[in-house]
Amino acid sequence: MSRQKNTAGARLFAVRQDVSPRARAVLTALAFALPLLMWSAVSYTPFIWHPYVLVEDPGDTTVAGKYDYVREGQRVELAEFEGRNRELAAAGKQLATGERANPIYLPAPHEVARAFVTAFGTEPQRRGDQWLHESLWHSCQIIFWGFIYSAMLGVPIGVLCGSLSFFSRLVEPFVDFVRYMPAPVFGALAVAILGLKDEPKITIIFIGTFFQMVLVVSNTTRQLDGALIEAAQTLGAKNRQLLARVVVPGILPNLYRDMRILIGWAWTYLVVAELIGEKSGISAFIYQQQRYRNFENVYAAIAMIGLIGLFTDQILAFIGRFLFPWENERPRFFYRIQRLFGGAREGGSDTQAQAQARVAVKAEASR
Amino acid sequence: MTGATHFELPDYHEQSPPVRERFAQLDARPVVMRVDHLGKTFLGAQGEVQALGDIEFDVRRGEFISVIGPSGCGKSTLIRILAGLDYPTEGAVMLDGEPVIGPGADRGMVFQGYTLFPWLTVEKNVMFGLKMKGVKRREAREQARHWLEVVGLSGFAGHYPKQLSGGMKQRVAIARALANQPRILLMDEPFGALDAQTRAHMQAHLLKIWRDLDVTILFITHDLDEAVYLSDRIVAMGTGPGHVQEMIEVPVERPRSPEQFLSGPFLATKKRLEELIHPRTEEMRALEA
Ligand SMILES: Nc1ncnc2c1ncn2[C@@H]1O[C@H](COP(=O)(O)OP(=O)(O)O)[C@@H](O)[C@H]1O
Ligand SMILES: [Mg+2]
Repeated sequence: MSRQKNTAGARLFAVRQDVSPRARAVLTALAFALPLLMWSAVSYTPFIWHPYVLVEDPGDTTVAGKYDYVREGQRVELAEFEGRNRELAAAGKQLATGERANPIYLPAPHEVARAFVTAFGTEPQRRGDQWLHESLWHSCQIIFWGFIYSAMLGVPIGVLCGSLSFFSRLVEPFVDFVRYMPAPVFGALAVAILGLKDEPKITIIFIGTFFQMVLVVSNTTRQLDGALIEAAQTLGAKNRQLLARVVVPGILPNLYRDMRILIGWAWTYLVVAELIGEKSGISAFIYQQQRYRNFENVYAAIAMIGLIGLFTDQILAFIGRFLFPWENERPRFFYRIQRLFGGAREGGSDTQAQAQARVAVKAEASR
Repeated sequence: MTGATHFELPDYHEQSPPVRERFAQLDARPVVMRVDHLGKTFLGAQGEVQALGDIEFDVRRGEFISVIGPSGCGKSTLIRILAGLDYPTEGAVMLDGEPVIGPGADRGMVFQGYTLFPWLTVEKNVMFGLKMKGVKRREAREQARHWLEVVGLSGFAGHYPKQLSGGMKQRVAIARALANQPRILLMDEPFGALDAQTRAHMQAHLLKIWRDLDVTILFITHDLDEAVYLSDRIVAMGTGPGHVQEMIEVPVERPRSPEQFLSGPFLATKKRLEELIHPRTEEMRALEA
């Protein structure tokens, strides 16, 4: 019994061994629950941190003193609040009351959660400003176009650099040089050339991802097993066929993985891009809310960016499982759906040969 | 040799009438591939390394020829040059009288490692060469089906390589190479990574394919039994730099079967190869004493 416990515990911390599916689910939940728990603890437990006092009743405001500026609704430091109460006590007047509070820039989880919902329903403060969902949609479009343009150019160039020494020598030194320049430094230039609207913003996203993309894609291309190319050559494939029929399909799964990572990269340039020229999108919303000191809205907006990123990545990961059937087993429900639509003969009962194959593969794996 | 041999082995030069007739027939056939004073020197980081010396032999149509030699003697280098994947620094390779200048569909190649295209199904892998030639999809599929039948994998057309065992992968690789109907099939230790049982099965299978289709095969191995069992002739290579020590005509009658492993001609040939490929060194003699 105790031995079993030991092995289960040992497995949790074994190097290069995946934990059990159940532990995996629990850990994933904890990944979000732990930060949330810490945040709640700081927000809802008055004796943890809470360096301020939110004044409910300032007591007798007629008493003069060093701290007589304390008024109802103010967020004052604990020392100031206690100083005021000493003054009031010395004068024998009514004391001030209030609750311990955190700084305004740290709203509690429920406030952010509420802001998350109400932010969408809050009318734009100025005429002509965008609603939150419009801002978000605008941001997504900037990312999308910046990334698409970057991929349309970056992927072919990267593949060429990875397969042909000629392109690698011609392109990569300059790309290496530019990629060390932070994309934002091109902001002013982009505005001067392209105006105040979306074009310079898309350009910043493009610059931020394109140069990295060329290098990442050319590296991925180089990692393709050279033996596959040689095999294709002995089968009669020539240059262009090698590229189209061997190199590209051969790197496709890794290319897809690269693109998922690079989209994340594009998001990191979003705020810079949106604050140049005419401020726009979610960044403009955050900028504005921070100026009004609506920090719960700021947090809600930041969380939205995170959620959109996570959501896109999960969707892309999910789609990826269908795109490359030679890499991963298809998800089990895929076969169920296939069977529903009459693919029963292929997906359902095995032919004898297929059963044999399975046995052979198992035997090989157990070796 | 010290130690008692309990029975007399025949001379490996002795050929029974059917064997002699077989070689007479082979000699009358045209030369498919001529390896003409081939040499290869690599220019490495530590200067020049001569991998191959003066290699010379002919391969005749329909013959099964093996190249055997100790590890590192340049067998892979040789076959890569024959395939056109590398170039010689001396001499030339002639295919049907024309010099080889690069890889091409007229020489099929089966590698030691698995080189099936993982993104293509078994059937599409076999169709690959045909598609490169511009054969229409339908026609290519029909031919691929045929070649899969030849290697006994008809039931696996829709599988991906990942789903196959090592032996099956090599059979698909053979079908893929054969589909181009090459002038010669080059095989570089194709069964080297397989376990003994699968390997024996593959050898028998390859012999059957060779006999049925009358293809020319150049086969590289470091396994003596494999070489004797499969080949008409064996090129025994030596190291430093790689060179041909002897061209051996295998005196074992055809059709071959595993029972012959213990026959006189088989053992005599193997003994000769043993002397050529695994010579006893002073150190080994000292250890044996
Ligand atoms: N690309 C290369 N550059 C330098 N030396 C090489 C290269 N390829 C092979 N060699 C050398 O040539 C010799 C023969 O290698 P190889 O043909 O692989 O032998 P085998 O296949 O008989 O084991 C080895 O000594 C190896 O180090
Ligand atoms: Mg080798």
